[in-house]
Amino acid sequence: MSEQTIPLPAASASRTVPVWAQHLIVFVIFISIWELAVRNEWVSRLILPSPFAVIAAWWDLAIVKALIWKHFFVTLTEVVIGFLLGAGFGLLMAILSAMNMTFRRLISPYMVALQVTPRIAVAPIIVAWLGFNMEPKIAIAAIICFFPIFINSLTGLLQADDERLEMFESMRASRWQVFRHLQLPGAMPVIMAGFKTGISLALIGAIVGEFVSASVGIGVLIQRFSFQLLLPEAFACLIMLTVMGLLLYGTATFADRRVIFWKSDDLVTKSARKLRAKHAAMLASRADAKAE
Amino acid sequence: MTQAINLDPAARAIKDIVTATRTGMEFPGPVVALEDASFHVKRGEFVSLIGPSGCGKSTLLRLVSGLIKPTAGHLNVFGELIAGPRAEIGMMFQKPTLLDWKSVFDNVLLPITLAGTVKKADRERALDLIHLVGLKGFEFSYPRQLSGGMQQRVALARLLNTGAELLLLDEPFGALDEFTRERLNLELLRIQSDLDATILFVTHNIQEAVFLADRVFVMTPRPGRLAATVNVPLPRPRTIEMTKSPEYNDLVFNIRDTLGGFI
Repeated sequence: MSEQTIPLPAASASRTVPVWAQHLIVFVIFISIWELAVRNEWVSRLILPSPFAVIAAWWDLAIVKALIWKHFFVTLTEVVIGFLLGAGFGLLMAILSAMNMTFRRLISPYMVALQVTPRIAVAPIIVAWLGFNMEPKIAIAAIICFFPIFINSLTGLLQADDERLEMFESMRASRWQVFRHLQLPGAMPVIMAGFKTGISLALIGAIVGEFVSASVGIGVLIQRFSFQLLLPEAFACLIMLTVMGLLLYGTATFADRRVIFWKSDDLVTKSARKLRAKHAAMLASRADAKAE
Repeated sequence: MTQAINLDPAARAIKDIVTATRTGMEFPGPVVALEDASFHVKRGEFVSLIGPSGCGKSTLLRLVSGLIKPTAGHLNVFGELIAGPRAEIGMMFQKPTLLDWKSVFDNVLLPITLAGTVKKADRERALDLIHLVGLKGFEFSYPRQLSGGMQQRVALARLLNTGAELLLLDEPFGALDEFTRERLNLELLRIQSDLDATILFVTHNIQEAVFLADRVFVMTPRPGRLAATVNVPLPRPRTIEMTKSPEYNDLVFNIRDTLGGFI
């Protein structure tokens, strides 16, 4: 009897408590344990700041002094431009490699070399070349996100199945038409997955660049506050990076869903309805032509 | 097995859409996929190719399509040695091979899109073809929203939109359930008689081969050979009732006998 009744309250609770409230409860528990740990000196305050200290530091940096935003937007700009360069170049190289086997064969050793070399290690060299402004951080972000985007795009472009290729060939499609109508759209799911990986890597690249040498950027602030043992401030900056990461990843996920709309039931239904409305006149005229 | 037709070459060029003379295909390995095949296919004829896997029926179809070139003998299509894919030849596969990111309408328009610019008349014809294959109401749906049978109907409409006179179908309904397959076969026959198309139809189903065809090419494996050509004298239009007739069943059993040792 009791064995049967035990699961019931849990099941009904998960049904009545909304998902957001469940997340909120877990979050509050997490923060409370953190606060308790610091207040009771289970962990030294010098090592782990209390959540309230972090919030206070963030309030001071973001609202009272409002000095964090300049750094936030510098880092964000580095990431976005770096990503666009890395993604553009990665996609271009993938397209050239997919279209031309000789090119693919000739560049492949360099691509492997680039993959096995820890790309973060080039950061000081890039700084030596490009100086202390945004350029070296953009370059490092681009270099770090280039590789997964290149590999994903190439894999995607080469995966068109033989029957579809034969179908295009039997319709005497040109090389460009096969690329434009079959390979590229067919590769989009894999390319977009590469972009999602790439945007997170670009953020890592920009921060590494700022660690090596910079005067502006969230990475600079984290380093400076850590050196001064101002850990609440450092944690506040870290949270800003989490926010930035979520913002970037969310944008990539949103774009992903839109670009490969044909994988989503909702978007496909919507698109079909739109097309039907657009061609309504022609549909009606063909129906009439049949009836006559 | 070879039916020698004594016509002068000019007349033959008009009458015969496909002429194979000791055509052979050897793939690197070497694997002899097809050996010494000689046959004619007349304009408007429906020919089924039947045989177990490895008998070279798909190879034969790809040779006729111009996707691959024979390594032995000659193969003439539309009176010319086949040198590559041609506009008069259309292909359809076991998988629908639709483009998931295009609507039914745009998939059917693909041959026109690839050939040049799409005009108003092309769009109207695409709609008519979609209606012809029984997909009224699904003109702007996406492949994801369609069943396997409906997807094959789209592939059929796309094939018809190539304007090809010679249709090569490689087990087009092989992956579908029995009922859908039967319905689509009847529609295929109706469409063929409307368009006066010539069809080469690959299948591994003897009943289907006999039901559809004017002639059945029976093929045997290792190496792929054209073992026999069977005439199907059943009248047209074909109906499901004919599958009960003794002539039909005799033909099916004869072909099964020919293939007996290989199945």
